[in-house]
Amino acid sequence: MRRRLPAPVAAVVALLLFAGCSGGPSLENRGEVTAPPGDSHHLVVGSAGFTESDLLAQMYAQLLDHAGYKTSLLTVANRELYEPALESGQIDVVPEYAATFADWLNAKANGPDAPPVGSPDLAATMTALRRLAAPRGLTVLPPGRAVDQNAFAVSASYAREHHLRTLSDLGRSGLKVRLAAGDECVQRPYCEPGLKKTYGIDITAVDPKGVGTTPAKKAVQSGQDQMVLTTTTDATLSQFGLVILADDKHLQNADYVVPVVNRSRAGGPGPTAALDRLNKVLTTADLASLGEQVDSWRRLAQDVARAYLKEKKLIG
Amino acid sequence: MPGPDTGRSNGVVTATPDDCLARNDWICGAYLSSRGQILLDAVLQHLRLTGLAVLIGLALALPLAVVARRWRWASGPVLAVTTILYTIPSLAMFSLLLPLYGLSASLVVAGLVLYSLTLLVRNILAGLRAVPEETRQAARGLGYGPVRLLLTVELPLALPAAMAGLRIATVSAVSLVTVGAIVGFGGLGNLIYAGMNTYFKAQVLTASVLCVVIAVVADLLLLGVQRLLTPWTRAARG
Repeated sequence: MRRRLPAPVAAVVALLLFAGCSGGPSLENRGEVTAPPGDSHHLVVGSAGFTESDLLAQMYAQLLDHAGYKTSLLTVANRELYEPALESGQIDVVPEYAATFADWLNAKANGPDAPPVGSPDLAATMTALRRLAAPRGLTVLPPGRAVDQNAFAVSASYAREHHLRTLSDLGRSGLKVRLAAGDECVQRPYCEPGLKKTYGIDITAVDPKGVGTTPAKKAVQSGQDQMVLTTTTDATLSQFGLVILADDKHLQNADYVVPVVNRSRAGGPGPTAALDRLNKVLTTADLASLGEQVDSWRRLAQDVARAYLKEKKLIG
Repeated sequence: MPGPDTGRSNGVVTATPDDCLARNDWICGAYLSSRGQILLDAVLQHLRLTGLAVLIGLALALPLAVVARRWRWASGPVLAVTTILYTIPSLAMFSLLLPLYGLSASLVVAGLVLYSLTLLVRNILAGLRAVPEETRQAARGLGYGPVRLLLTVELPLALPAAMAGLRIATVSAVSLVTVGAIVGFGGLGNLIYAGMNTYFKAQVLTASVLCVVIAVVADLLLLGVQRLLTPWTRAARG
């Protein structure tokens, strides 16, 4: 899980991981794993509370509404909280990121030291993800066109001064880098360990300001930190005078947007067809521009999502 | 930047609107008008969670305090347990209760109830203990049984202290509800958390101010109730 994680929530995460021995369905609903794909009339769409997740959740809900389902939204702080709820059917649909979710499920099933299954290869990542999701009663719907990968940004002046265009350039420069990111960055292979190993970047510390949060970007703008972990769909970077350094050695994985559903409640053809209509339309750039309307213009995610779906003639 | 589809969509670049939302002003009329319903829903959820938690807390604290008063041996464990509960950080409390309640409003209410217990039990107990022994003896002399003594003499005399506890418990519940945002049931906290993630000044300020208003109004209401219930305290002062 790489997304925005307020520092205090780390405590919850730690506790949940202990409590997470309850991983997998509980005894009462173990039967659901083998239950046939269901088609509940009322569906709860989960959001992980950051802008893009809100937007996707809104779009999913409105598409499902359009297809005749009754939906409600539930915003939860992070994956550690919503994934068990998705397994138990308290949440029926969530927007996910293929590689990140595959690795998260892999760590949950096989321990934190298990070799990663997410990779820059989408097909391989999807196969691994579906293999991990199925035993938990989760169905991963087909991925769309939109990709939200981790990206690392530095201030434009810093990049100019040190002639940086790629992460390799930064590694070669030997500069000492304080990285603003989520506190989980220190152990994610695509974050601090990968930057050190793949690119040889000298990360002196990880400043736990969250992934792509405004405080994180401000810290880089002011020079308190040198680099920030954000995402390819971040449309606000220019406002903070930040530029993305290219991931020239392909450290980042195939984080395509995929809807994940509780199989017994929303695994039927109805929800799949409704959500698949978005997959064919939504691009990374669309997602960035929608995110900008919410983050910079402060429009309501609900209204932005509706306007987009109407513009694309996905809803009436 | 790696990955497909990274160009601007359809070549359309829409201009940034110039209003107080886009400027990110602290005080923003457009925020209030565009989010009126959301704010109202958040306030109602906030009130519901706080109210339920305090009422259930009171219903649990009253018998606990009476038991602790009646049997000396019980007071140690009752006070110890409720105090230990109070020291659990709120984020941890919610995650400890999560397996029991799932992602639900009951999870937040249960956490808040446990927090309110310390304040309520201690204050009710202090009130009961402050009832003068002579008063009790006089009531017994008049033929009052233990139940009647409790209901008509001890509890009314314990009211000022109990109400003080209730006021503190209510005000602290109003602020603790916000932590429920991590599971999506935090009343105004949902807005504060979302606003902090995106540096949305108007949202953070508006929701925080509403939180303070709820706390102050609740405190004043309870003060009024206390005055109504204990007219003798004012008569004695006047």
